[in-house]
Amino acid sequence: MTEQEIKEQFFVTRDAAAMLAARTALVDSIVRERWSAMPEGAAIAAVGGYGRAELFPHSDIDLLILLPGAGGKKSEDRAQQAIKEPLSLLLRDLWDKGLRISQSVHTPQECNQIDNSNAELSVSLLDRRFLAGDQTLFRQIRDPRPELGKDIARLTKERHAEFQHTIYHLEPNVKDTPGGLRDMQVLRWLAKLGAGDEQGPPDTAVLFEVRCFLHYLAGRDDNRFTFDRQDEIAKLIGAASPEELMRRYYRAVRNISRLANRRIDRFEAKGSSLLSQFRDKISRLSNTDFSVVRGGILFRSANAVENDPGIVMRLFEFVAMHGLPLAGDTQDRLERAIGHFEEWAKKQSNLLAPIRRAMLLPHAAAALRMLHECQALEGIFPELRDMEALVIRDFYHRYTVDEHTLVAITNALNLRQKKHDSFADLAVETQDFDLLPVALLFHDVGKGTPDEPHVPVSVRIARPALLRAGISERAWSIVEFLIAAHLELSSAMSGRDLSDPEVIRSVAEKVGTVERLRLLTLLTWADISAVNPGALTPWRRQLLWKLYMLVNAELTRELTARIGSHEIKASPEMQGSPELRAFLEGLPPRYLRIHSAEEMRQHLQLDAEAKGQGVAVSLARSEVWNLNVVASDKPGLFAMIAAAISSFGLNILRAEAFSNTRGRAIDTFAFADEQRTLDLNPDEVQHLLRTVIRAVRGELTMTQLLERRPRVKPDARVLAEARVTYNNEASPSSTLIELLTQDRPGLLCDIASVISNSGANIEVVLVDTEAKKAIDVFYVSRGGAKLADPEAEELVGALTRVAVPV
Amino acid sequence: MKKIEAIVQPFKLEEVKEALKNIGIDGMTISEVRGHGRQKGHKEVYRGQEYNVDLLPKVRFDLVVPDTRLDEVVEALTNAARTGKIGDGKIFVYDVADAVRIRNGDRGDAAV
Repeated sequence: MTEQEIKEQFFVTRDAAAMLAARTALVDSIVRERWSAMPEGAAIAAVGGYGRAELFPHSDIDLLILLPGAGGKKSEDRAQQAIKEPLSLLLRDLWDKGLRISQSVHTPQECNQIDNSNAELSVSLLDRRFLAGDQTLFRQIRDPRPELGKDIARLTKERHAEFQHTIYHLEPNVKDTPGGLRDMQVLRWLAKLGAGDEQGPPDTAVLFEVRCFLHYLAGRDDNRFTFDRQDEIAKLIGAASPEELMRRYYRAVRNISRLANRRIDRFEAKGSSLLSQFRDKISRLSNTDFSVVRGGILFRSANAVENDPGIVMRLFEFVAMHGLPLAGDTQDRLERAIGHFEEWAKKQSNLLAPIRRAMLLPHAAAALRMLHECQALEGIFPELRDMEALVIRDFYHRYTVDEHTLVAITNALNLRQKKHDSFADLAVETQDFDLLPVALLFHDVGKGTPDEPHVPVSVRIARPALLRAGISERAWSIVEFLIAAHLELSSAMSGRDLSDPEVIRSVAEKVGTVERLRLLTLLTWADISAVNPGALTPWRRQLLWKLYMLVNAELTRELTARIGSHEIKASPEMQGSPELRAFLEGLPPRYLRIHSAEEMRQHLQLDAEAKGQGVAVSLARSEVWNLNVVASDKPGLFAMIAAAISSFGLNILRAEAFSNTRGRAIDTFAFADEQRTLDLNPDEVQHLLRTVIRAVRGELTMTQLLERRPRVKPDARVLAEARVTYNNEASPSSTLIELLTQDRPGLLCDIASVISNSGANIEVVLVDTEAKKAIDVFYVSRGGAKLADPEAEELVGALTRVAVPV
Repeated sequence: MKKIEAIVQPFKLEEVKEALKNIGIDGMTISEVRGHGRQKGHKEVYRGQEYNVDLLPKVRFDLVVPDTRLDEVVEALTNAARTGKIGDGKIFVYDVADAVRIRNGDRGDAAV
């Protein structure tokens, strides 16, 4: 058959194997025919792809010409000289026939020596095939040493790095992208070098077929599977759509990639005594479920997953904690038994809890990827299958939707480990950080639903999935917000004038609270960073940070604003209850945004109780303790409550205080009971409540409370200094004081006392402590007006002294 | 031929692109740049710390047009990029000696 006939036949039969064989046979016959005119004493062999008899339509034809060794023997020298001229004629002749020849000329001795200096030649020799000439020369070539496997592993890793180690490129290179045909060859080479081949080769038919078409369509050795080619080839092979073709492609590639990575790791694991010492050390991590052998995790018992599917979740947490890879055997067992896990997962009602827990562990990203690769993540959330290997074409995205999602989560989780980065600081300070990966997991899941804007669809899909997994109402409201608003900051950044206060106000209104702003900023950061490796330019980072700062400032300013009539109109609770409306009058919009209708009703009830005694309190326990105090506002109130809590050795995590127009203060505190005082002594709960009430009524003095406070050793320092500033522009009637310092037990109580002792009244408080930092916002006034500048400066000085890290 | 280099506010990107498209200008190069003019950057205060933001994000358009279209293009650019506030940016116009289309060797106006 001629090249043209081979091509025509392929377009009819689409039989890639037949095509490769036919072209190899054609080239074989041409080379052998031309070689017959060569003088004796040399040989010609096919190597590389040609050696494997896999000649794609426009692949190079790799030839090895073997000459006898020039070891000084006269006869050998003569033979070498004699062949030079005819050889160059032969090669020119083959070029003229339109064959792209890539030749090398060596003696067998050279072939056997050079594996250290030229790994690529040694690798190509693995596929050598005799064509014509002196067979004895060909037989002198020995198989490369098994150590060549290490070079192959290194070269493969370097190649994978060029493609960010992912198979899920929207426009992959079918040869070089991880999981492509090159990896298929790596598998075969490593098998030849003794890395046993316990499994049959994965199904690669679709890759071969696609590459044949790519070559024929381009008319050259072009292996880029671009969008245009995806369209053309989908039609040629009768796929339902280009997306369907790509899913087939990614499935094949995923299998190859998994096998290749596993085989490479095994090769790299050989040798190195330092490494084995390290391995011995970590093997002590073994527990009753898992043993750690040679750096990989193994199940302790056979049929572990079948007998106890919950072990998969424990494996997930184990990986998140220690960051170790699964042994190949573990991956196989997991894959085989994943159906058992899926059945089990269907019956569970709280799988989100272990996932959220693991998200705060050091290797959370690796653990989540592990869960995805064995398809357990999809077992828990079958909804995620909608975005598996999903191609959504746009100019910027480089990965499929599922890969984009995982990269975004990985980037977000790794952000916490970075130093000297403003977004990293934000990540460390953010409350509910573990909900960020949860929101990211679902943020684009709606992209699998055609003909609808994806954001509302993502929310719609996420809701039942997460409720089934046991998400709390509060957590869902945050995740829902994050998914629904995940494009807000990007679109404000790129399309709106950030110097326009109206723009910032409207973003602030959509975001609602500083806590949500932090999470949304991080989500936006992660989402952009996962579009392609270069997407998060310093330019975009700067715009995003600027937007964050401006909206943060706006939300802080807003703390002295009052709930407006449009908010009242928007709330059915307020519409129906004049009491609630009266209670809320004078409170800032933040109050509405952070409290559920149920909590507002509780506050209203406390308000009624407080009428008689001047104060009412309630205490509830969720993840932390929450204390609500409703009392007639008076100077020093907030400081006294903080002191009462501190006097029990309890650590205040968050606090806020607002007051309404009727002179009622609503103070809420979240605190941790690190010594478990309240847990272990139920009487102490009543004691605490009584102490708070007595403190508010003035029956206890500040000194009495502070004397009772237990001494606690401060944590290691994370901040070197306290930063305290004031701002008289933020509000018409009060002075804004912002404070950032190292947190310590009793800090809030000390700060509040300093403010009260200065004679200033605390109007609004917003206190947050995360990652051992205290981030406090106070609005203070004196006689219903702002502090004069000298007064404010004096107060800042006093606060700096008390807040300095110890 | 003239080369036009316009530095505009980032949020004006789409509007300017659209305005150029509407008068039939399709060829342009757009880059994300950072810099400052008389606006000179400013200070932002965040948690009591001043951030010096001296290089501000801007978008740069580069395009080459025949002499006869210069005024029209500059006007479209100006109108689309203007907010009337400091920091709206600048437009620079240069003389271009020649242009070559690499694919077929076209020169001058035919190449732009």
